[in-house]
Amino acid sequence: MGANVRPAAFHPRLAPKLAASVAALAVAGGAVACGGGTPASSAVVSVSNGGCGAGWKLAGPGWHTFQVYNAAAEGAEVDLVDPANGAIYAEVEALGPGTTSPMRLNVGSGSYAFRCLFEDADAITGPTVTVGGHARGTPAIVPITRNDLFGPARTYHDWIAAGLGTLAGQTATLAADVRGGNLAKAKADWLTAHLTYERLGAAYDAFGDFDGQINGTTAGLDGGVSSPDWTGFYRLEYGLWHGQSARQLTGVANTLVSNVRGLRDAWPTMEIDLLDMGLRTHEILENALQFQLSGQDDYGSGTTLATVGANIDGTRELLTVLHPLLAPRYAGLAAVTTWLDRLASLLEAAKRPDGAWIGVSDLSTSLREQIDAAAGQALEELSPIAAITEPRRT
Amino acid sequence: MPDPADPAQTGSVPSDSGSADSGPAGTGTPGAAEPAGTPRRRAFLLGGLGAGVAGAVAGAAGGYAYRATRPAPASQQALEDAEAGALPPVPFHGKYQAGILPPAARQTAVISFNATADGRGELIGLFRTVTDRARFLTAGGTPPPVGIGGAPSDSGTLGPAVVPDGLTVTLGVGSTLFDERYGLSARLPARLTPMRTFPDDNLDPAQTGGDLVLQLSAGHPDTVMHALRDIARHTRGGMQAIWRMDGFTSPARPAGTVPRNQLGFMDGISNPDPASQAQMDKLVWIQPGTAGEPAWTAGGSYFVVRLIRMLVEFWDRVDITEQENMIGRRRATGYPLDSNAIHATPDFAHDPSGAVIPLTSHIRLANPRTAQSGDSRILRRGYNYDRGIDDVGNLDIGLLFTSFQQDLKRQFEAVQTRLIGEPLVDYISPFGGGYFLALPGVRDGSDYLGRSLLA
Repeated sequence: MGANVRPAAFHPRLAPKLAASVAALAVAGGAVACGGGTPASSAVVSVSNGGCGAGWKLAGPGWHTFQVYNAAAEGAEVDLVDPANGAIYAEVEALGPGTTSPMRLNVGSGSYAFRCLFEDADAITGPTVTVGGHARGTPAIVPITRNDLFGPARTYHDWIAAGLGTLAGQTATLAADVRGGNLAKAKADWLTAHLTYERLGAAYDAFGDFDGQINGTTAGLDGGVSSPDWTGFYRLEYGLWHGQSARQLTGVANTLVSNVRGLRDAWPTMEIDLLDMGLRTHEILENALQFQLSGQDDYGSGTTLATVGANIDGTRELLTVLHPLLAPRYAGLAAVTTWLDRLASLLEAAKRPDGAWIGVSDLSTSLREQIDAAAGQALEELSPIAAITEPRRT
Repeated sequence: MPDPADPAQTGSVPSDSGSADSGPAGTGTPGAAEPAGTPRRRAFLLGGLGAGVAGAVAGAAGGYAYRATRPAPASQQALEDAEAGALPPVPFHGKYQAGILPPAARQTAVISFNATADGRGELIGLFRTVTDRARFLTAGGTPPPVGIGGAPSDSGTLGPAVVPDGLTVTLGVGSTLFDERYGLSARLPARLTPMRTFPDDNLDPAQTGGDLVLQLSAGHPDTVMHALRDIARHTRGGMQAIWRMDGFTSPARPAGTVPRNQLGFMDGISNPDPASQAQMDKLVWIQPGTAGEPAWTAGGSYFVVRLIRMLVEFWDRVDITEQENMIGRRRATGYPLDSNAIHATPDFAHDPSGAVIPLTSHIRLANPRTAQSGDSRILRRGYNYDRGIDDVGNLDIGLLFTSFQQDLKRQFEAVQTRLIGEPLVDYISPFGGGYFLALPGVRDGSDYLGRSLLA
């Protein structure tokens, strides 16, 4: 969606790097009060290239805050892990040299060790501390690595390739409609093609400049809808639903076809950022809520609800390829399905009796509230996936 | 702003108080910007001219009888604590919701929602979730970390630890919740209806009504906003916000008096005494066995919200005598026009023709202080609002009026009915709000808001 793509600043998560090593000193810290009436403690855990949290202790289950201090001359990532399987209870990323950052968690029964990752070095795991009994604490999650994500990303890449092939044919049909002056058919074929593109939504960044050419809005363009730089689906929608002639729109349609072909042909050499796999599971619908359910990106066809439906399909495809990784790690997956299903069925229920789509401003207040509520809840349920699937070093 | 000791109380709309130091006598050209209600305004003007006032004590020089005779009210102390960021937690559990009786907080937000929960089970889940969040937010504490399992559990806008800051969370239900969706029609409170449209109202349907209402009040705007974000985040599928109004109260100026509304008059000088259980049982709380009320409502209270625009540009072109006659009090001091003390009870009986306090003044219509009017008193909580500018460049500011009462018709509607056509209506415009029933309180850690309704 061209102008809708998040700026780079929204992607602060650094590609994981480095190796580690370290030494550690455990310095006892003063107890710090915590809410909840449970025992709490706070201790300084020092890490360096010589060791990772040596000598640290746990008084028992309950809330603990560790002040993690990086005594090394380089940045580190410090995790508190279950040494049996590497599952992470808590992490401090990008801990600069000489700095301290709190790490807070509810310690339950189980085994705990600090693991340090410094640049260009293997991970170092410090001594294990075991807490007995049957106390429930903050759960640990087995980290997902880049290797884990390669397979899903390849499957997803193939799925996109197939979708782009379909899209190339659909846009060719659309352009032929326009050239032939059959604008009524062009409207129907526009929707078909546009939804195919929207279904591929997870790959916005991966499409590079093609996305702005194929699906850009007027945002950021001088002159708005009259800007000569505006191309793509939305430009064509504006013309088709604002009485522009076949002659006026032929160039627009032909440009769309060539841009789609360009993307299709370039796609085999384009890569999907592994980090994006998880991010897109909520970002697609974030955009849908911001631009489609608001009606903002309706340039006349009144089909933004159909776009949301296509965005749901695209989200589901990502969830499918990530499912083997998510199933053992995310207890909220069932709720994700519940709310995506509810949102999809509400969109279907919103259609006119003849099956035509309805613009959001023509929805009944009650139905619009239900749709917006379901989208909001689906997003809440989806949001943890990005953190869980962030590729991590182990 | 309520005065615990003054049994009088004013009605609904903007409210009280008056002045001595009248300053410039207005523009003297009242015909300049008259709206459609001109006849009413002219009639009022004529009536008001006779109301000269004795005892115009200069505010600064004369001091305040109020100050001399009583300690600063609880509301003043609360405002000072808020200034210092020192408001302690307000206990959440109790027979009644904790946000109803306290003085108007420094900051509040009223948000109306429609329920989107699918069926009774999800509705119960919604009420339980609101309860759980309210329990945490009002007590304060450190939000739980999520490790690598998701985004942070808290917005962080109050820092790493949530401070209570006197937060109260009050939940109410509107009549539309009792339709067929949740099988609650048999439990509709006897007096709960959609908000009536009064003759001087200009209601916008988009800013009126709602299945649910939430009022969040605290010492500071960040605390209120933090609570709203938190509750909304946890309830996205269950309810959808439809309108919202933020409100604030100002420091009493001069200190020791009563905060002012945006007409410049002190607001809420007289109110029932929240410390008097007898008064609250008679005027605020629905009692077990209150005529016709379902048993589940006991301990609840009818909650009226009115969004009232103040046409302050017009108001500021009105001379002080006319302003004071419309209200019935001095602007500078808050004194009733027949008195030299802010909390004096106006003696309408000795002014039957309205020579001193006009018969059409706000305080006289709202509370005529007759034997018959006593049981129509309401627990009034007014807040100022500011929503920017309107289409002609005027300030979009006014009053977020709230009141709690045992009986909508006997109290709020009776007061509002007496106010129909008052001269003040030319300067104010009610445009939204709703009637709700504030639920009974949450007894303990296993109870939840609405249990008696939903269980």
